Amino acid sequence: MRNLISAFALALVALANSIAPAAAPAASASDDIRLAGAGATFPQPLYERWVVEYQKLNPSVKIDYQGLGSGGGIKAITDKTVAFAASDSPLTKRELEAMGGADKILEFPSCVGGVVVAYNLPGVTTDLNITGALLADIFIGKVSKWNDPKIAELNPGANLPDLPIVPGYRTDGSGTTSVFTNYLATQSEEFKSTVGVGKQVKWPFGQGGKGNPGVAAILKSTSGSIGYIEHNYAVQNNLASFAVKNASGKFVKGSPAAMAAASTAAVDNLKANRLVADIWNQPGDEVYPISSFTYLIVYRDLNNLKSPEEARALFGFLSWTLSGGQELAKSLDYAPLGEGIRAKAADAVKALTHNGTSLAASK
Amino acid sequence: MSATPSTNPISPGQPPGQSTGQPVGQPHQKRRGRSKADAVLGLLTRGSAVAILLMVASLLGVLLHAAWPSIRQFGPSFIVSSEWRPNAIERPLIGPDGKVVIEDGETVLETLPPAFGALPVIYGTAVSATIALLLAVPLSLGSALFIVRVASRYRFAGVVSFLIEFLAAIPSIAYGMWGIFVLTPFLQKHLEPMLFRLFGDFSIFGWAFFDSSGRAIGLTGRDMLCGGLILGIMILPIITAVSRDVLRAVPRAQVEGALALGATWWQSCIAMLRYSRSGLFGAVMLGLSRAAGETMAVTMVIGNNNQISPSPFAPAQTMASLLANEFGDVTGELHRSALLQVALILLIMSLVFNITARRLVVGKGSRSSAAH
Repeated sequence: MRNLISAFALALVALANSIAPAAAPAASASDDIRLAGAGATFPQPLYERWVVEYQKLNPSVKIDYQGLGSGGGIKAITDKTVAFAASDSPLTKRELEAMGGADKILEFPSCVGGVVVAYNLPGVTTDLNITGALLADIFIGKVSKWNDPKIAELNPGANLPDLPIVPGYRTDGSGTTSVFTNYLATQSEEFKSTVGVGKQVKWPFGQGGKGNPGVAAILKSTSGSIGYIEHNYAVQNNLASFAVKNASGKFVKGSPAAMAAASTAAVDNLKANRLVADIWNQPGDEVYPISSFTYLIVYRDLNNLKSPEEARALFGFLSWTLSGGQELAKSLDYAPLGEGIRAKAADAVKALTHNGTSLAASK
Repeated sequence: MSATPSTNPISPGQPPGQSTGQPVGQPHQKRRGRSKADAVLGLLTRGSAVAILLMVASLLGVLLHAAWPSIRQFGPSFIVSSEWRPNAIERPLIGPDGKVVIEDGETVLETLPPAFGALPVIYGTAVSATIALLLAVPLSLGSALFIVRVASRYRFAGVVSFLIEFLAAIPSIAYGMWGIFVLTPFLQKHLEPMLFRLFGDFSIFGWAFFDSSGRAIGLTGRDMLCGGLILGIMILPIITAVSRDVLRAVPRAQVEGALALGATWWQSCIAMLRYSRSGLFGAVMLGLSRAAGETMAVTMVIGNNNQISPSPFAPAQTMASLLANEFGDVTGELHRSALLQVALILLIMSLVFNITARRLVVGKGSRSSAAH
């Protein structure tokens, strides 16, 4: 009994110690600038790394990014409870209006992500090719065997087994699903009118998994399965993935370079007042067709932040993500923005103000 | 309360003087101190009882309030519709003549708003729970009879009982892990392909291996069957433990009487089961309510597809697994509301199961303990 008590006391001391170092600097260094951000989980590993690296350069700026999901981030910035938000899809008209319109809000791409279609097919060692229309047929259930002539036609020489195809999909609301369904809708009229597009849709066929890990679990454990998954997640899990036929007729595998090429191809689609664009199915030989931007969202006038110092700190961080931060993206298997896009975004960030005072000039 | 301190069932267990620090040699003082403690304890216990009632009431109230938009929108069709689609669909408008409507050379589009119907998950819950009961009830009754009638002779009834109760204490995520790493691969690689080899060619079993469009169902081991089996294993301990207690409460005279009338040992067991049938039914109801509400383990192995398929090898979804899958990241207010309506239905169902079980088990238990 006494041992138990002393063990408990020790545990308490240990707990107190582990809390103390975290609490102490906050109390002592009150002149630190603290910024909060929230939103999409897809770029979270990248943003967290950005924060760490940026704090090495600017130790007095503390940034805290919470992965609430795109919807949560948009709600937080609308309520002005965070300094910046992140979203995998552009703001809808209604969301934009709730924040005061495109004149008040700046959304700009921070990096490029891609959705790859991975598969588990024992005995097939070569890379397989696929088209968007065929992917749509598979996910609707019209093509349900691996040795279907439509698949064989694209993959001469591959030893395709007589195995049912088991599609795997996300059951939770996800930007990945949104990008994938939007891409398939451009490829198949039938998919568009039966399954439709969205963060969560009704899949007629196949197995559901929660989050990228859930889909990865289906892929790893089931022979004959096929599933869509974030590119960097597929890389980490060593999943085989399709080369997808792009708008220029070339079969391209998902890679940071191929996704960056998709963003470059879309540079003219970015409007001056809204730096958003759908970049699936872009033309170009090197382009991976199921790519998408992920966005950062801030007020054009940062008066949601109390002090000019805070506004300057956020301005510094955002500018850095578009310069030093872009190089870092590659090392984490995210694709940096194409140069034209990066320049447009950097120009827009330069125009940020705090209570009317230009931040670029005051720095 | 203070008038009858000595009959209070709690106060006798309290060490004298400990609650107030009164010296033992002062009976008058002590009684006064104790009655104060009684009053406090009485208030506390009543307070806790009321708090629990309030919690249940507020749970129902909050769910009802949050589910209201969905109840208003869909009405009774919520439980008979099988369309669970959180996204709106834009598609070409089909005119009465069956052709796409075209005005001014452009296709007219219609937008289908998101729709929510709970039939697939109600079906999934019902079928997976049925599979669970088919597995668990015979095993549970068998092992309960074994503990009461056989094992007691060999002195290891205690060990068996302990093991069964231990099964009940394993967290459900652990069952889920076991399902994913042991049961699913076994079903996927061995049992289901074997069943397919044995029965796949018979057209009367076609519904189990092919879906309505004639597609072969991929045998993944993450399907209704696996969900049902894992649930069966999870409810085994509770049904066994309750049936064991119910069977133990059967008066000895009943069994001895049966034996004296010339019944064989087997027939006396049947007589025992028959005598305690309402209590046993209650045990099954308790198991059923646990099966209906079980979440984590089922979510991991049932395949999570909101569709109604007659095949046990097709992926399915239960109410609880739907909530686990979709609640974290809803796509709209109506979606959230529809999910909460599913939770409300689940809560009401569990209440009904539990109340029924309680009436059957407790009613039986108190009657037989009086007979002892």
